[in-house]
Amino acid sequence: MTPLLEVRGIDKSFGPVKVLHNVEFSAYAGEVTALVGDNGAGKSTLVKCIGGIYPIDGGEIFFDGKPVQIHTPRDAGELGIEIVYQDLALCDNLDIVQNMFLGRERKSGLLLDEDSMEELAEKTLSSLSVRTVKSIRQQVSSLSGGQRQTVAIAKAVLWNSKVVILDEPTAALGVAQTAQVLELVRRLADTGLAVVLISHNMNDVFAVSDRIAALYLGRMAAQVKTSDLTHAQVVELITAGRSGELGLKNGVTP
Amino acid sequence: MRAGPSQEDIRRHNLGALLRHVHLGGPTSRAELTSKMGLNRSTIMALTSDLTAAGLVREELPRETGRAGRPSLVVRPESSRVYVFAFDVGPDRLAVARVGLGGVILDRRESVRRRGAFELDELTGALAGFARQMRRKTRADTVCVGAAAAVSGGVRKADGVVTFGPNLKAEEVPFGEELGRKLGLGLPVSVGNDANLAALAEHSRGVGVAVRDFIYLHGDVGIGGGIIAGGQLLGGHEGYGGEVGHMVVNPGGRACGCGSHGCLEAEVGERALLEAAGRFGAGQQGRDAVRAVVEAADRGDIVAQEALSRTGEWLGLGVANLVNIFNPEMVIFGGMLREIYLGSAAQVRTQLTLHAMAPQREQVRLRTSALGDSATLVGAAELAFAHVLADPLEVLARANG
Repeated sequence: MTPLLEVRGIDKSFGPVKVLHNVEFSAYAGEVTALVGDNGAGKSTLVKCIGGIYPIDGGEIFFDGKPVQIHTPRDAGELGIEIVYQDLALCDNLDIVQNMFLGRERKSGLLLDEDSMEELAEKTLSSLSVRTVKSIRQQVSSLSGGQRQTVAIAKAVLWNSKVVILDEPTAALGVAQTAQVLELVRRLADTGLAVVLISHNMNDVFAVSDRIAALYLGRMAAQVKTSDLTHAQVVELITAGRSGELGLKNGVTP
Repeated sequence: MRAGPSQEDIRRHNLGALLRHVHLGGPTSRAELTSKMGLNRSTIMALTSDLTAAGLVREELPRETGRAGRPSLVVRPESSRVYVFAFDVGPDRLAVARVGLGGVILDRRESVRRRGAFELDELTGALAGFARQMRRKTRADTVCVGAAAAVSGGVRKADGVVTFGPNLKAEEVPFGEELGRKLGLGLPVSVGNDANLAALAEHSRGVGVAVRDFIYLHGDVGIGGGIIAGGQLLGGHEGYGGEVGHMVVNPGGRACGCGSHGCLEAEVGERALLEAAGRFGAGQQGRDAVRAVVEAADRGDIVAQEALSRTGEWLGLGVANLVNIFNPEMVIFGGMLREIYLGSAAQVRTQLTLHAMAPQREQVRLRTSALGDSATLVGAAELAFAHVLADPLEVLARANG
């Protein structure tokens, strides 16, 4: 199976600090790939490189098997890569539809085509089986944390995206909302998208992921199928970069 | 001995098959039905007009097709006219729903059941009372075509008697017969095990649509199961199959309501979790108490975390055994197991990695129920619709008197 998104040998430095060393990472269509690692391991940096926010110093990015150049977030968006950041970047004073189309509004003549945007927003939310929001004309400020997360994810899916990257989507949520978001993450992948889930929560990672990629101090320690891993092994990969046969040898990728 | 199916048998079969397509797939155009069923266009037309005349479906012009040419008529189920009653008897909950053709829940009533002795008379009386209330609110042209109940216990296939139900304290109860009498609709009430019916519901309308081999695990006070193998529910010799909750995972372990020790249910059920979390008998019980433990674990309560991960380990061990034996494509966690799985997935998957064999383990998908708390009711409704789909016109004629 060819990965939908593949990065090879990515290097990234901020001044004298080398943050990513020769990182390999793949995400497959129809699967959830969990990206785990300790604070400062380089998870967010890797994602920002893929999203075109940081330029990469070296390495290659392949999309659907073909080499691509990603220099700006717009490049990433055109390929179908959407990122949902931790802080969600939703506007509190706008409603759900306005947020979902922010900066990419549909127009009919000089006016905004509210009807078609409303219809598409409605369709996207129902295709994700989102039944928790009462009205799509509700202001985002009136939504709960889980609902906001849902809207942010739906916004990412709306643009015929193929890869959706979620940065800690359950971090600030209660148990019931976490469950809903996890089920949504799983449904995204089951509808054929490649989903990348960044998370610190081992239960979340094991509950929905098909593969686990562990970063350790800027190096990819291992990328393994979840069905071949135990909880203890993942914890070792995160904290020590290796676990038995898996992981880094003498601190470098074997 | 007969040579083959008669003209009449084929027609009945085709009517049922068409109705099933519309019942499960929602509004479908005649053109789609033609290609899905592999029948001739004029046959589809004859079948739909028979069903329309009987008032089971109606045909409408589609709103928009976006394609050139004369649009094909869309066949819709008469959801608001043709309905069944679905009942659910759980340890803590009584629920009744009026479910329209096509699986739409039109109306529902729910009440709390106090755990205690199984009072057949009182229980069926309450359920029938709810049904009567809902029936009174229906229009005159509606017709009830069936009734079925999901019961948390073992149900004998031959006569629908609830033979055992340690969590309901039921034993040899002719439940369907009594409920049918109380309803007074002249309809038999089919009875099924709740987890079995929930599995069927997930298969027809939930996360298990298009999955031919899966195992549904239902958590309530105990653990029930429904095994779908090759697209069929595995019922066993007398219909008691699928009691995965009484698979022994810990010989000599905790005592189980069934009389044995170390059953999956005894290690993973509500009581085990609450006792391990030091919350048993603290006033709270049922789904709320389980949720409270998961919530406490999430907020950092170490005792609750320990209890949840211990529960997850036993659950994972049980799932590993099932995966090795049945090689399912999917395992679905329903009822309170949804919360428990999401809260202890690391332990569940770890046990699966350690104990399930690689070829089976790599392909199995672990999912939570898509129908949630409605799964058992939806399953009961499907059971009630089963005989309508087998012979639509005959059943409707009988229901219309």
